Amino acid sequence: MTEAELAQALGQISAEMGFRFFALTHHLDVRCAPQPVIRLDNYPRDWVSYFDDNKLGASDPVHRASHVTSVGFAWSALPKLIQMTQRDSEIFERAERNGIGDGFTVPANVPGEANGSCSFATARGCPVPEENLALAQLVGAFAFEAARRLWRMRDPERATPPRLTDRQRDCLIWATRGKTDWEIARILGVSHETVIMHLKDARVRYGVTKRTPLAVHALFDGTISFVDILKS
Amino acid sequence: MVILAAAARQPLENQVLRAMFEARKQVFVDLLKWDVPVLQGRYEVDQFDDAHAVYLIVTGAQGQHLGSARLLKTVRPHILDTLFATLSASPPPRGDDVLEITRFCLGRNQSARERLVTRNALVTALAGYALEHGIATYTGVAELAWLQQILAFGWRCRPLGIPKVIDGRTLGALRIEITPETPALLADNGIHTRVPFEPADALEAA
Repeated sequence: MTEAELAQALGQISAEMGFRFFALTHHLDVRCAPQPVIRLDNYPRDWVSYFDDNKLGASDPVHRASHVTSVGFAWSALPKLIQMTQRDSEIFERAERNGIGDGFTVPANVPGEANGSCSFATARGCPVPEENLALAQLVGAFAFEAARRLWRMRDPERATPPRLTDRQRDCLIWATRGKTDWEIARILGVSHETVIMHLKDARVRYGVTKRTPLAVHALFDGTISFVDILKS
Repeated sequence: MVILAAAARQPLENQVLRAMFEARKQVFVDLLKWDVPVLQGRYEVDQFDDAHAVYLIVTGAQGQHLGSARLLKTVRPHILDTLFATLSASPPPRGDDVLEITRFCLGRNQSARERLVTRNALVTALAGYALEHGIATYTGVAELAWLQQILAFGWRCRPLGIPKVIDGRTLGALRIEITPETPALLADNGIHTRVPFEPADALEAA
């Protein structure tokens, strides 16, 4: 199957389920993402440009909500999942002006890879087809996996996120818990210089120069988890 | 290490199985809030944990339970045909070369990374077991929250019907085809943990 065939199949089945639009995507700013990015959609072009111009890939409310659940949700349920801001409401108004109505989003979170989702949206003024949401969930999951396999075949090297060594990972987990390098050295029973070196090597692997983006990237791709950080 | 175990008549008398039933209680009852029977307040054991069930159990260096899965014969009553028959659009796949994967369990008290290692060992063991025993198809009922992960293992997986919300959980039935290519498909997705297999008879001495 090719990308175009997958998009065509998704468009067809979206229509059969009672939706006008679909969008299958990784949640990254597609213009400066380090990994190969999955994105297939049939949204109005104006909306897509607005989305990218404003770098909504990582901050879009629908994307944010799909990081806090692993089952599909209707957009009307968003306020139950995340704190909605003024900006979020503006995004929805803007989407509506572009002809996009209500929607249903299937989170696609694969451990060790960037988060993604597959959304189905109705045309403005049309309700979500409640009776087909379980089916939409199934279609979304299989479509995302089909896209993932296409992208992996295209560039198998870059499809895998950077790997940290166990020691680099241990240092990073303690750093995200707020420990200084010196404290981490005492906890792990290694020298101060060793800790500095591990964290520096970890930053190099992710191509970042600061500790906070390192933590965010490693959380994002599943190398470390919130449970690792927050458990006592 | 992966231990291959056929259930004994008195499963709770075996140490390895007991540890698995205890881990299952912690995962399925305490964490996932499934409404399933619990024995002695500690062990999750149901009517399918009988002499016909086969278990794949991943153990750690000290022999502790890390993960496990239960395989049920589809020629006998199993989960899909008895409890969730409505999830399959046509009669569920059935035969001597079809097994149902149930109670896929990753023990708690593992970090995210450790859980992935355990999960990979278990998935590898499932593929290996099928190839060694002439199993061509696995079936299973999964919560859709897990679906993306199951698909991303890379093996050939198809839905058996449209998912349904049952007791507040969205469940779907799947079939997984196991062929000689499966280990390579899994390996493409980073799942190629080599794990020593310990046959069932080792369990009798435990």
